[in-house]
Amino acid sequence: MLQEASTAVAGITGADIAVAAKYIAAGLCMGIGAIGPAIGEGIAAAHALDGMARQPEMQGALLRTMVLGQAITESTGIYSLLVAIVLLFVV
Amino acid sequence: MLGEIFAQLSETLTRLGEKPIAQLGLGGLTIRFDYMTIIMSWVVMILLVCVALLLRRGLRQDVEDRPSRVQAALDALLDLLRGQLTSSFSSERLARELFPFISTLFLFVLLSNWLSVVPYLESPTRDLNVTFSLALLVFAMSHILAFRAKGARGFFHGFLEPYPFMLPLNIVGEISKPLSHAFRLFGNVFAGTILVTVVMAKFAPVVVPVALNAFYGLFMGAIQAFVFAILAVAYINVAVES
Repeated sequence: MLQEASTAVAGITGADIAVAAKYIAAGLCMGIGAIGPAIGEGIAAAHALDGMARQPEMQGALLRTMVLGQAITESTGIYSLLVAIVLLFVV
Repeated sequence: MLGEIFAQLSETLTRLGEKPIAQLGLGGLTIRFDYMTIIMSWVVMILLVCVALLLRRGLRQDVEDRPSRVQAALDALLDLLRGQLTSSFSSERLARELFPFISTLFLFVLLSNWLSVVPYLESPTRDLNVTFSLALLVFAMSHILAFRAKGARGFFHGFLEPYPFMLPLNIVGEISKPLSHAFRLFGNVFAGTILVTVVMAKFAPVVVPVALNAFYGLFMGAIQAFVFAILAVAYINVAVES
Protein backbone atom coordinates (compact mmCIF):
# COMPACT_ATOMS: atom_id res chain seq x y z
CA MET A 1 0.00 0.00 0.00
CA LEU A 2 2.69 2.42 1.00
CA GLN A 3 4.68 1.39 -2.02
CA GLU A 4 1.69 1.94 -4.28
CA ALA A 5 1.23 5.43 -2.91
CA SER A 6 4.87 6.25 -3.33
CA THR A 7 4.91 5.07 -6.95
CA ALA A 8 1.74 7.07 -7.59
CA VAL A 9 3.42 10.18 -6.23
CA ALA A 10 6.54 9.43 -8.21
CA GLY A 11 4.39 9.08 -11.35
CA ILE A 12 3.33 12.71 -11.22
CA THR A 13 5.52 14.71 -13.54
CA GLY A 14 5.87 18.41 -14.11
CA ALA A 15 3.65 18.17 -17.18
CA ASP A 16 0.80 16.76 -15.09
CA ILE A 17 1.08 19.62 -12.64
CA ALA A 18 1.07 22.07 -15.54
CA VAL A 19 -2.13 20.52 -16.94
CA ALA A 20 -3.80 20.62 -13.54
CA ALA A 21 -2.74 24.23 -13.04
CA LYS A 22 -4.14 25.05 -16.48
CA TYR A 23 -7.60 23.73 -15.63
CA ILE A 24 -7.60 25.35 -12.19
CA ALA A 25 -6.53 28.65 -13.74
CA ALA A 26 -9.26 28.46 -16.37
CA GLY A 27 -11.89 27.74 -13.72
CA LEU A 28 -10.70 30.55 -11.47
CA CYS A 29 -10.47 32.93 -14.41
CA MET A 30 -14.06 32.31 -15.47
CA GLY A 31 -15.47 32.16 -11.96
CA ILE A 32 -13.86 35.31 -10.61
CA GLY A 33 -14.15 37.11 -13.92
CA ALA A 34 -17.91 36.56 -14.04
CA ILE A 35 -18.58 38.16 -10.64
CA GLY A 36 -17.98 41.75 -11.73
CA PRO A 37 -20.11 41.79 -14.89
CA ALA A 38 -22.90 39.89 -13.13
CA ILE A 39 -23.14 42.43 -10.31
CA GLY A 40 -22.82 45.32 -12.73
CA GLU A 41 -25.50 44.05 -15.09
CA GLY A 42 -27.81 43.36 -12.17
CA ILE A 43 -27.39 46.91 -10.89
CA ALA A 44 -28.04 48.29 -14.39
CA ALA A 45 -31.19 46.20 -14.79
CA ALA A 46 -32.44 47.14 -11.32
CA HIS A 47 -32.08 50.85 -11.91
CA ALA A 48 -33.56 50.61 -15.39
CA LEU A 49 -36.54 48.80 -13.85
CA ASP A 50 -36.85 51.58 -11.25
CA GLY A 51 -36.96 54.11 -14.03
CA MET A 52 -39.50 52.11 -16.03
CA ALA A 53 -41.79 51.75 -13.02
CA ARG A 54 -41.64 55.48 -12.43
CA GLN A 55 -42.06 56.48 -16.07
CA PRO A 56 -43.53 53.68 -18.18
CA GLU A 57 -43.58 55.92 -21.26
CA MET A 58 -39.77 56.02 -21.22
CA GLN A 59 -39.53 52.24 -21.54
CA GLY A 60 -38.10 52.13 -25.05
CA ALA A 61 -35.26 54.55 -24.42
CA LEU A 62 -34.48 53.00 -21.04
CA LEU A 63 -34.37 49.50 -22.47
CA ARG A 64 -32.02 50.57 -25.24
CA THR A 65 -29.66 52.37 -22.89
CA MET A 66 -29.76 49.49 -20.43
CA VAL A 67 -28.84 46.93 -23.07
CA LEU A 68 -26.04 49.16 -24.34
CA GLY A 69 -24.64 49.64 -20.84
CA GLN A 70 -24.90 45.96 -20.07
CA ALA A 71 -23.11 45.09 -23.29
CA ILE A 72 -20.21 47.34 -22.36
CA THR A 73 -20.18 45.98 -18.80
CA GLU A 74 -20.15 42.50 -20.18
CA SER A 75 -16.93 42.93 -22.13
CA THR A 76 -14.78 42.21 -19.05
CA GLY A 77 -16.61 38.93 -18.66
CA ILE A 78 -16.05 38.17 -22.32
CA TYR A 79 -12.34 38.90 -21.92
CA SER A 80 -12.09 36.44 -19.04
CA LEU A 81 -13.96 33.91 -21.16
CA LEU A 82 -11.43 34.37 -23.94
CA VAL A 83 -8.55 33.98 -21.47
CA ALA A 84 -10.17 30.80 -20.18
CA ILE A 85 -10.54 29.49 -23.75
CA VAL A 86 -6.88 30.31 -24.45
CA LEU A 87 -5.86 28.54 -21.24
CA LEU A 88 -7.92 25.46 -22.04
CA PHE A 89 -7.20 24.99 -25.73
CA VAL A 90 -4.05 26.91 -26.61
CA VAL A 91 -1.56 27.01 -23.73
CA MET B 1 3.16 38.31 -29.10
CA LEU B 2 -0.48 39.17 -29.68
CA GLY B 3 -0.32 37.97 -33.26
CA GLU B 4 1.18 34.71 -32.09
CA ILE B 5 -1.68 34.20 -29.64
CA PHE B 6 -4.23 34.96 -32.34
CA ALA B 7 -2.54 32.58 -34.75
CA GLN B 8 -2.56 29.83 -32.14
CA LEU B 9 -6.14 30.61 -31.21
CA SER B 10 -7.35 30.43 -34.78
CA GLU B 11 -5.34 27.23 -35.20
CA THR B 12 -7.10 25.72 -32.19
CA LEU B 13 -10.52 26.92 -33.22
CA THR B 14 -9.95 25.36 -36.58
CA ARG B 15 -9.14 22.01 -35.03
CA LEU B 16 -11.99 22.28 -32.55
CA GLY B 17 -14.65 22.35 -35.22
CA GLU B 18 -12.80 19.97 -37.56
CA LYS B 19 -13.29 22.44 -40.34
CA PRO B 20 -11.74 21.99 -43.77
CA ILE B 21 -9.24 24.73 -44.50
CA ALA B 22 -7.95 25.70 -47.92
CA GLN B 23 -4.55 27.30 -48.22
CA LEU B 24 -3.41 29.53 -51.00
CA GLY B 25 0.24 30.51 -51.36
CA LEU B 26 0.94 33.92 -52.83
CA GLY B 27 4.69 34.47 -52.96
CA GLY B 28 5.54 33.72 -49.35
CA LEU B 29 2.18 34.96 -48.11
CA THR B 30 -0.22 32.19 -47.24
CA ILE B 31 -3.91 32.93 -47.31
CA ARG B 32 -6.16 30.50 -45.51
CA PHE B 33 -9.78 30.04 -46.43
CA ASP B 34 -12.29 28.49 -44.12
CA TYR B 35 -14.79 26.71 -46.37
CA MET B 36 -17.46 26.47 -43.70
CA THR B 37 -17.41 30.15 -42.81
CA ILE B 38 -17.47 31.27 -46.43
CA ILE B 39 -20.29 28.90 -47.35
CA MET B 40 -22.32 29.87 -44.29
CA SER B 41 -21.81 33.58 -44.97
CA TRP B 42 -23.12 33.04 -48.48
CA VAL B 43 -26.06 31.08 -47.09
CA VAL B 44 -26.91 34.05 -44.86
CA MET B 45 -26.58 36.49 -47.75
CA ILE B 46 -28.74 34.36 -50.07
CA LEU B 47 -31.37 33.97 -47.35
CA LEU B 48 -31.44 37.73 -46.78
CA VAL B 49 -31.80 38.48 -50.49
CA CYS B 50 -34.50 35.83 -50.93
CA VAL B 51 -36.50 37.14 -47.97
CA ALA B 52 -36.11 40.68 -49.28
CA LEU B 53 -37.37 39.68 -52.73
CA LEU B 54 -40.24 37.75 -51.18
CA LEU B 55 -41.23 40.69 -49.02
CA ARG B 56 -41.02 43.08 -51.95
CA ARG B 57 -43.55 41.03 -53.89
CA GLY B 58 -46.04 41.49 -51.08
CA LEU B 59 -45.87 45.27 -51.18
CA ARG B 60 -48.85 47.21 -52.55
CA GLN B 61 -48.57 50.52 -54.28
CA ASP B 62 -52.03 51.90 -53.49
CA VAL B 63 -52.48 53.05 -49.93
CA GLU B 64 -56.27 52.77 -50.04
CA ASP B 65 -56.30 48.99 -49.73
CA ARG B 66 -56.07 47.16 -46.48
CA PRO B 67 -52.36 46.33 -45.95
CA SER B 68 -51.51 42.71 -46.54
CA ARG B 69 -49.88 40.52 -43.89
CA VAL B 70 -46.48 40.83 -45.53
CA GLN B 71 -46.75 44.58 -45.58
CA ALA B 72 -47.76 44.67 -41.92
CA ALA B 73 -44.79 42.48 -40.99
CA LEU B 74 -42.43 44.66 -43.00
CA ASP B 75 -43.83 47.80 -41.40
CA ALA B 76 -43.33 46.30 -37.95
CA LEU B 77 -39.73 45.36 -38.80
CA LEU B 78 -38.93 48.79 -40.19
CA ASP B 79 -40.56 50.48 -37.20
CA LEU B 80 -38.45 48.36 -34.88
CA LEU B 81 -35.23 49.12 -36.73
CA ARG B 82 -35.96 52.81 -37.07
CA GLY B 83 -37.26 53.27 -33.56
CA GLN B 84 -34.75 51.19 -31.64
CA LEU B 85 -31.55 51.46 -33.65
CA THR B 86 -31.16 54.67 -35.59
CA SER B 87 -33.19 56.93 -33.31
CA SER B 88 -30.15 57.27 -31.05
CA PHE B 89 -28.16 59.08 -33.74
CA SER B 90 -27.39 62.67 -32.91
CA SER B 91 -28.66 64.17 -36.16
CA GLU B 92 -31.61 63.34 -38.37
CA ARG B 93 -29.37 63.40 -41.45
CA LEU B 94 -26.97 60.83 -40.01
CA ALA B 95 -29.86 58.56 -39.03
CA ARG B 96 -31.32 58.74 -42.53
CA GLU B 97 -27.95 58.12 -44.17
CA LEU B 98 -26.89 55.20 -42.00
CA PHE B 99 -30.25 53.46 -41.63
CA PRO B 100 -29.54 50.95 -44.46
CA PHE B 101 -26.02 50.25 -43.17
CA ILE B 102 -27.03 49.64 -39.56
CA SER B 103 -30.11 47.62 -40.55
CA THR B 104 -28.08 45.41 -42.86
CA LEU B 105 -25.50 44.86 -40.13
CA PHE B 106 -28.24 43.93 -37.66
CA LEU B 107 -30.05 41.59 -40.03
CA PHE B 108 -26.83 39.88 -41.13
CA VAL B 109 -25.63 39.26 -37.59
CA LEU B 110 -29.12 38.19 -36.48
CA LEU B 111 -29.49 35.64 -39.25
CA SER B 112 -25.90 34.44 -38.74
CA ASN B 113 -26.56 33.80 -35.06
CA TRP B 114 -29.84 32.05 -35.77
CA LEU B 115 -28.30 29.83 -38.41
CA SER B 116 -26.63 27.53 -35.86
CA VAL B 117 -30.07 26.35 -34.70
CA VAL B 118 -30.50 24.44 -37.95
CA PRO B 119 -28.62 21.12 -37.86
CA TYR B 120 -25.53 20.88 -40.10
CA LEU B 121 -25.36 24.65 -40.40
CA GLU B 122 -22.97 26.83 -38.43
CA SER B 123 -23.01 30.46 -37.44
CA PRO B 124 -20.49 32.41 -39.50
CA THR B 125 -20.15 34.66 -36.44
CA ARG B 126 -18.49 31.87 -34.48
CA ASP B 127 -15.43 32.64 -36.59
CA LEU B 128 -13.36 35.51 -35.20
CA ASN B 129 -12.47 36.65 -38.73
CA VAL B 130 -16.10 37.39 -39.58
CA THR B 131 -16.81 39.41 -36.46
CA PHE B 132 -13.50 41.21 -36.85
CA SER B 133 -14.24 42.22 -40.42
CA LEU B 134 -17.67 43.50 -39.37
CA ALA B 135 -16.11 45.47 -36.49
CA LEU B 136 -13.43 46.91 -38.79
CA LEU B 137 -16.19 47.94 -41.20
CA VAL B 138 -17.85 49.91 -38.41
CA PHE B 139 -14.45 51.32 -37.36
CA ALA B 140 -13.65 52.55 -40.87
CA MET B 141 -17.18 53.91 -41.28
CA SER B 142 -17.01 55.89 -38.04
CA HIS B 143 -13.65 57.47 -38.90
CA ILE B 144 -14.60 58.30 -42.47
CA LEU B 145 -17.79 59.94 -41.26
CA ALA B 146 -15.90 61.79 -38.51
CA PHE B 147 -13.36 63.01 -41.09
CA ARG B 148 -16.17 64.21 -43.32
CA ALA B 149 -18.04 65.91 -40.49
CA LYS B 150 -15.10 67.63 -38.80
CA GLY B 151 -12.57 68.15 -41.58
CA ALA B 152 -8.90 67.17 -41.46
CA ARG B 153 -7.94 69.68 -38.79
CA GLY B 154 -10.81 68.89 -36.47
CA PHE B 155 -10.37 65.17 -37.00
CA PHE B 156 -6.71 65.09 -35.98
CA HIS B 157 -7.24 67.67 -33.28
CA GLY B 158 -9.78 65.33 -31.73
CA PHE B 159 -6.94 62.98 -30.77
CA LEU B 160 -5.29 65.76 -28.73
CA GLU B 161 -8.37 66.33 -26.58
CA PRO B 162 -8.52 67.19 -23.71
CA TYR B 163 -4.71 67.54 -23.40
CA PRO B 164 -1.98 66.80 -25.97
CA PHE B 165 -0.24 64.29 -23.70
CA MET B 166 -3.40 62.15 -23.83
CA LEU B 167 -2.60 61.25 -27.46
CA PRO B 168 -1.38 57.67 -26.80
CA LEU B 169 -4.37 56.99 -24.56
CA ASN B 170 -6.77 58.24 -27.23
CA ILE B 171 -5.13 56.08 -29.89
CA VAL B 172 -5.27 52.98 -27.68
CA GLY B 173 -8.89 53.78 -26.90
CA GLU B 174 -9.73 53.98 -30.60
CA ILE B 175 -7.98 50.67 -31.31
CA SER B 176 -9.68 48.89 -28.44
CA LYS B 177 -13.14 49.76 -29.77
CA PRO B 178 -13.17 47.35 -32.76
CA LEU B 179 -11.29 44.78 -30.64
CA SER B 180 -13.95 44.66 -27.93
CA HIS B 181 -16.71 44.98 -30.53
CA ALA B 182 -15.48 41.88 -32.37
CA PHE B 183 -14.60 39.84 -29.29
CA ARG B 184 -17.98 40.46 -27.67
CA LEU B 185 -19.95 38.95 -30.54
CA PHE B 186 -17.44 36.16 -31.13
CA GLY B 187 -17.17 35.28 -27.44
CA ASN B 188 -20.92 35.05 -26.92
CA VAL B 189 -21.60 33.00 -30.03
CA PHE B 190 -18.58 30.75 -29.53
CA ALA B 191 -19.36 30.13 -25.85
CA GLY B 192 -22.90 29.11 -26.81
CA THR B 193 -21.56 26.81 -29.51
CA ILE B 194 -19.09 25.15 -27.13
CA LEU B 195 -21.75 24.66 -24.48
CA VAL B 196 -24.30 23.15 -26.87
CA THR B 197 -21.65 20.91 -28.45
CA VAL B 198 -20.33 19.66 -25.12
CA VAL B 199 -23.78 18.99 -23.68
CA MET B 200 -24.86 17.27 -26.88
CA ALA B 201 -21.76 15.06 -27.02
CA LYS B 202 -21.26 14.24 -23.35
CA PHE B 203 -24.41 14.62 -21.24
CA ALA B 204 -27.82 14.71 -22.86
CA PRO B 205 -28.06 14.28 -26.59
CA VAL B 206 -31.87 14.31 -26.80
CA VAL B 207 -34.04 17.00 -25.21
CA VAL B 208 -31.68 19.38 -23.44
CA PRO B 209 -29.89 20.65 -26.57
CA VAL B 210 -33.23 21.95 -27.89
CA ALA B 211 -33.68 24.18 -24.88
CA LEU B 212 -30.03 25.23 -24.98
CA ASN B 213 -30.29 26.01 -28.68
CA ALA B 214 -33.42 28.05 -28.06
CA PHE B 215 -31.63 30.06 -25.38
CA TYR B 216 -28.17 30.44 -26.88
CA GLY B 217 -29.13 30.36 -30.55
CA LEU B 218 -32.36 32.33 -30.68
CA PHE B 219 -32.49 34.49 -27.55
CA MET B 220 -28.81 35.32 -27.08
CA GLY B 221 -28.39 35.57 -30.85
CA ALA B 222 -31.08 38.24 -31.09
CA ILE B 223 -29.72 40.13 -28.05
CA GLN B 224 -26.17 40.05 -29.38
CA ALA B 225 -27.21 41.17 -32.85
CA PHE B 226 -29.09 44.08 -31.28
CA VAL B 227 -26.10 44.91 -29.09
CA PHE B 228 -23.74 44.75 -32.06
CA ALA B 229 -25.87 47.14 -34.09
CA ILE B 230 -26.49 49.54 -31.23
CA LEU B 231 -22.79 49.63 -30.35
CA ALA B 232 -22.02 50.44 -33.98
CA VAL B 233 -24.49 53.33 -33.69
CA ALA B 234 -22.84 54.47 -30.46
CA TYR B 235 -19.30 54.31 -31.87
CA ILE B 236 -20.24 56.23 -35.02
CA ASN B 237 -22.16 58.74 -32.94
CA VAL B 238 -19.25 59.38 -30.57
CA ALA B 239 -16.74 59.66 -33.42
CA VAL B 240 -18.85 62.15 -35.34
CA GLU B 241 -19.97 64.22 -32.37
CA SER B 242 -16.97 64.65 -30.07
